[in-house]
Amino acid sequence: MKAATSETIWTMRREEEVMGTVVVLDLYADSSVTSDALAPSLRAAIHELHEADRIFSTYDPASALSRVGAGTLDLANAPRVISDVLELCRDARELSDGWFNPWGLAGGADLMGYVKGWAAQRALEHLRAGPARAAMVNASGDLVCYGGPRTGELFRVGIVDPFRSDSLVALVDLHAALATSGTFERGTHLIDPSAARADLRLASASVSGPDLGMCDALATALCVAGEEMLAVIESLAGYEAFIVGLGETRQWTTGFALAGVTDDNLSVTM
Amino acid sequence: MKSRRTPMVVLGAVIGLVSMASFRSTPASLTLNTVAPNNTSAIASTVSNAPATTPSTRRAGSTSPTIAPPPTSPATTRSATGSTVNYNFGTIAVQVTVDGTKITKITVPSLNDGGNYRSQSIDAMAIPVLTQEAMSAQSANIQSVSGASYTSAGFAQSLQNALTQLGI
Repeated sequence: MKAATSETIWTMRREEEVMGTVVVLDLYADSSVTSDALAPSLRAAIHELHEADRIFSTYDPASALSRVGAGTLDLANAPRVISDVLELCRDARELSDGWFNPWGLAGGADLMGYVKGWAAQRALEHLRAGPARAAMVNASGDLVCYGGPRTGELFRVGIVDPFRSDSLVALVDLHAALATSGTFERGTHLIDPSAARADLRLASASVSGPDLGMCDALATALCVAGEEMLAVIESLAGYEAFIVGLGETRQWTTGFALAGVTDDNLSVTM
Repeated sequence: MKSRRTPMVVLGAVIGLVSMASFRSTPASLTLNTVAPNNTSAIASTVSNAPATTPSTRRAGSTSPTIAPPPTSPATTRSATGSTVNYNFGTIAVQVTVDGTKITKITVPSLNDGGNYRSQSIDAMAIPVLTQEAMSAQSANIQSVSGASYTSAGFAQSLQNALTQLGI
């Protein structure tokens, strides 16, 4: 690494296949910190992700959540975290005016959408307790971090353009968590708005805030509710949003930590 | 960095790339390498102004030039293919084309993902994302991307190797 600053920071990346996706953990450490010193907190973080997968998987009929749903396991006898997450999902449903609703589909609550962000947040807390000066967890495009790449700097991240998967619509200074929901994961390169599902009112919605599980829930809710829900986010302390409409309109709440947006020439203004 | 590598961890080659890019230059205005949209004017007419942007955005925006700075050295187009690297699902080799020191194109001439449906679908999703991430990381100095589903250290290692071959 070239030494352009007096700080010597090295980075370690771990990619973990879990929860039906790949979670990327980036650790930033001072040169005095060895990989052995980082290992315990990294192990704890990864264990957290796999525990969440084991307990909340809706694909595995033997998972605790599946058994609760099937009525073969009492909630009272299930791992405590299931009750915790159910409570958090109720909070998210309330805060989103009912737009986030994991109980909306038949076959019991699908908590995996919430759990992915929730588990990534918990994984980050293990890293925060360790010797890494900064870290970022990327759970399938939902991000949460503490610190920054260098002293006094925040991590800067991009938001994928939902209409062009190989470009960005915005640059964001990441204070804690940022979740993006939208249509891009379907793999379509260009989306015809007329073909978009009627129950999806935005091309993509990104929500930043202190907790990734809540950001994820609110971003999902925004995509379904549409731009009118921006006012709801605006009223929530600590949470901000950036949305891309089906007609490529972009709007964001007043406190969104926008570092740049692409203009009509597709160049980024910093 | 290499001395700290252990079997269970993969060093952040993408991060390394980003760090190098950040030391090289910090242009005030950047052009993302992107597929030209069918109708660019549609964007201009539909970008909505927010009630207010963050103070830092305004401050930075008011001082930034509207054109990218000229290249510091005569531009010459060269390309190299990175070494074939093992990754989670198979092997990958990345080819990079540069104009001077700026990456202009990234392709994946060699990919062996075992051919099973799962790794194929992950790759179909990942390769455009990885390409975009590497290109935008160079130009925008970012550490990650929200909304993109997967990154691969194998991709980044092969890319790094190709750049090293080009002396970048």
